[in-house]
Amino acid sequence: MPSHDSSFDQTRSTHSNSHFQSPNQVTTEMKSKHVSFKPSRDFHTNDYSNNYVHGNSLPQQHVTNIENRVDGYPKLQKLFQAKAKQINQFATTPFGCKIGIDSIVPTLNHWIQNENLTFDVVMIGCLTENQFIYPILTQLPLDKLISKPGFLFIWANSQKINELTKLLNNEIWAKKFRRSEELVFVPIDKKSPFYPGLDQDDETLMEKMQWHCWMCITGTVRRSTDGHLIHCNVDTDLSIETKDTTNGAVPSHLYRIAENFSTATRRLHIIPARTGYETPVRVRPGWVIVSPDVMLDNFSPKRYKEEIANLGSNIPLKNEIELLRPRSPVQKAQ
Amino acid sequence: MINDKLVLFLIQNYDDVLRAPLSGQLKDVYSLYVSGGYEDCIKDLGSGQESLLQFEKFWDDLKDIIFATPKSIQFEQNLLVAERPEKIIFLDVFSLKILYNKFHPFYYALKSSSSSSDMKMSSVTPKTDSGEPQLLGRLLNVLNWDDNVKNQGLPREQLSNRLQNLLREKPSSFQLGRERAKYTTKVIEYIPICSDYSHASFLSTSVYIVNNKIVSLQWSKISACQENHPGFIECIQSKIHFIPNIKPQTDISLGDCSYLDTCHKLNTCRYVHYLQYIPSCLQERAHHDTASQNKEIESNVLTPFYTLGNCSAHSIKKALPAQWIRCDVRKFDFKILGKFSVVIADPAWNIHMNLPYGTCNDIELLGLPLHELQDEGIIFLWVTGRAIELGKESLNNWGYKVINEVSWIKTNQLGRTIVTGRTGHWLNHSKEHLLVGLKGDPKWINKHIDIDLIVSMTRETSRKPDELYGIAERLAGTHARKLEIFGRDHNTRPGWFTIGNQVTGNRIYEMDVERKCQEFIKNKNNSHNTGTKKSDKKSNSKFQQQQYWNNINNSNYRTEIKQKNSNKNQTGFESTQQQFQTLNNLYFAQ
Repeated sequence: MPSHDSSFDQTRSTHSNSHFQSPNQVTTEMKSKHVSFKPSRDFHTNDYSNNYVHGNSLPQQHVTNIENRVDGYPKLQKLFQAKAKQINQFATTPFGCKIGIDSIVPTLNHWIQNENLTFDVVMIGCLTENQFIYPILTQLPLDKLISKPGFLFIWANSQKINELTKLLNNEIWAKKFRRSEELVFVPIDKKSPFYPGLDQDDETLMEKMQWHCWMCITGTVRRSTDGHLIHCNVDTDLSIETKDTTNGAVPSHLYRIAENFSTATRRLHIIPARTGYETPVRVRPGWVIVSPDVMLDNFSPKRYKEEIANLGSNIPLKNEIELLRPRSPVQKAQ
Repeated sequence: MINDKLVLFLIQNYDDVLRAPLSGQLKDVYSLYVSGGYEDCIKDLGSGQESLLQFEKFWDDLKDIIFATPKSIQFEQNLLVAERPEKIIFLDVFSLKILYNKFHPFYYALKSSSSSSDMKMSSVTPKTDSGEPQLLGRLLNVLNWDDNVKNQGLPREQLSNRLQNLLREKPSSFQLGRERAKYTTKVIEYIPICSDYSHASFLSTSVYIVNNKIVSLQWSKISACQENHPGFIECIQSKIHFIPNIKPQTDISLGDCSYLDTCHKLNTCRYVHYLQYIPSCLQERAHHDTASQNKEIESNVLTPFYTLGNCSAHSIKKALPAQWIRCDVRKFDFKILGKFSVVIADPAWNIHMNLPYGTCNDIELLGLPLHELQDEGIIFLWVTGRAIELGKESLNNWGYKVINEVSWIKTNQLGRTIVTGRTGHWLNHSKEHLLVGLKGDPKWINKHIDIDLIVSMTRETSRKPDELYGIAERLAGTHARKLEIFGRDHNTRPGWFTIGNQVTGNRIYEMDVERKCQEFIKNKNNSHNTGTKKSDKKSNSKFQQQQYWNNINNSNYRTEIKQKNSNKNQTGFESTQQQFQTLNNLYFAQ
């Protein structure tokens, strides 16, 4: 039975003590010169929430692998490099399609019906408030826009995702798009261009410091057998803003997760929001970006189809990556 | 004399001036002009007399411009009503540009094409007219958005920034609440982690490790390092270092072990493991500093400088000791417990995984009468995977609104997020979700003290971070009644009531809860006809409770509690054993 009368911090340290016990404990004082450097017996853990309350840094700033997520894992580092290289190699020209929010649905309908365009990866939304995601989801024949198997990522604040839950959980929708992961993006501090701020909800109990993504899969993929379509367990469901993140509506982390997961080359990003002049919508190789504020307006269905025909609709298997990436059964993790 | 700055303003803001919401209203145009910072002398907007004079000057300047370039500015024809028109309805940007070029030769490269099409082009920005360098500069400005740019943009952009800053302004209750939390929350020892990898490798050469335990350091090597790398010793004395625990079988090229300090094969694993190194001087100093800080904080608590959201007896009230009841939550009558301000629940959601503990099925969880626990208050519900949706649905059914979602960023021994292995089905999982539900509109909540993230090390399977208790106490106050459902022994703590089938025995200090609990057992006993020695145990727990309240009255209960504990260990333990056995028999027999 733990000691119940000890205060909060004491219970913590007594617990951690048990982690770090060894029979041949150095109990005697060492030479005077060494005394101050004698290793402490207690295993120490920090309470970053408490530290933040006392006016110090935000908890997420204490994560030690923000800049290099795979720090300490050379095999994963190699995998990330190899994948980034290959994804770059099999990327279409960066395309932008600059249209007003009201024309997004008609334009996409035109692409579906008259141009026979489909995409394997579709991302909707970016890291701003005031997005018109609901009309897009209800008005657009998404199941025709996204091929099977296909992947859908919806980025918004958690409140918005909550509101969409009702729609996305109804039977018709849920049958088409199986909800598979919930991704989170965390800005590094309150000066970040991705800091959500107070917009629209001062009734929240805690200050918001994250954006959410609803990731869906349509059609069937199996992680054990469909290695040519998806690479599972490469990325994690959490991204923290890095120093090299350029300002804008969409940090590159969001694209990278989708690119690392699906090997498809046909990727579409719909941003149903005005992002304003201070948050530019950049283009990205391998993606068609539809937004009223995208910086380029160079999309032509014909040219796109030609490029895809040359590239192929999936990035081919590569031995190096196959050997490095985490695989399903038998093999031990690490 | 023509005011060239005003001309520039009219050219650059042509569109904003004429379109809604300004719609050419002269006074509003004047405000935009003033706030745009085109003229240094006009700064004061508020002081009435002065600004009126300046407006007269503004009007005179406009008249000068019209005089110089007739028809460049046209007003609504309303001269009958007032001598001064109120609305600009047309601006001839082309002729204004010609005018401006008189003062600043070749500032605008004017095409010989028809002026009407040119006007359209120059509507928002002088992009086509001002030539390539300026266009590039503007595009780069858009990309490198920072504070410098914020103060330089067009009046429209500046106004938008002001508006955004205004919207970002937090209520003072948030600020005051945060400040109070800073001065009244007990400090928990904090030692930063060193981020310089070279330090770890220096240390690894000078450290002597026996049995996966740092025994001593070679002073000579450390001082040698200090000479080449000034600041090394200070870093050792102020930060946590993780020293590689290199063993004969270790293959450094493989990288770090995924399990690190939790690796079960420490003596054969070929990956790198680490040992935490904190010199005892540092630990002692942290102890000492924290203790002195907390002493000050304790005295702060006694002076109620800001009381909003606090209970009236905040400073003199002592927290209740930990209380708990061992029971099967699915069959427990929540009415026994009364009402709570904060509820934490960590249900073992059935997510088709083989976990080392039993899981409840969804229907059982959804069927829990959690709506009985709070009239108004906060609930924290841990969810995972598919249970995220289920949890949100359940919260709505129980009368809560999902008001926040907290992410617990799980870290390992080295403070890194967990990226290896296959911790999720499609993607690896580096975080867990905690739904925050709010019922009613409680006035006693202290909002926005914490953020919706917890960064904390993982511990035993399914054990959640203790940081949450601190967050909950700051939200609802230390004296609020707080309940944890599905708790285990390590979850019990002062001020909290814990129920679950994995806590050891019962301990209840609140008399009404005790009474209702006894009644509940009695009823169950009667209905099940399992007669156990009830009177015995009842009298014993009565005795414990009596003693507790006496102690409270004596106001030196801390020492007494300890006595009581030891007392319980000797005499009371048997009875508690009996008691929970009875409860178990009851709940699990069904």
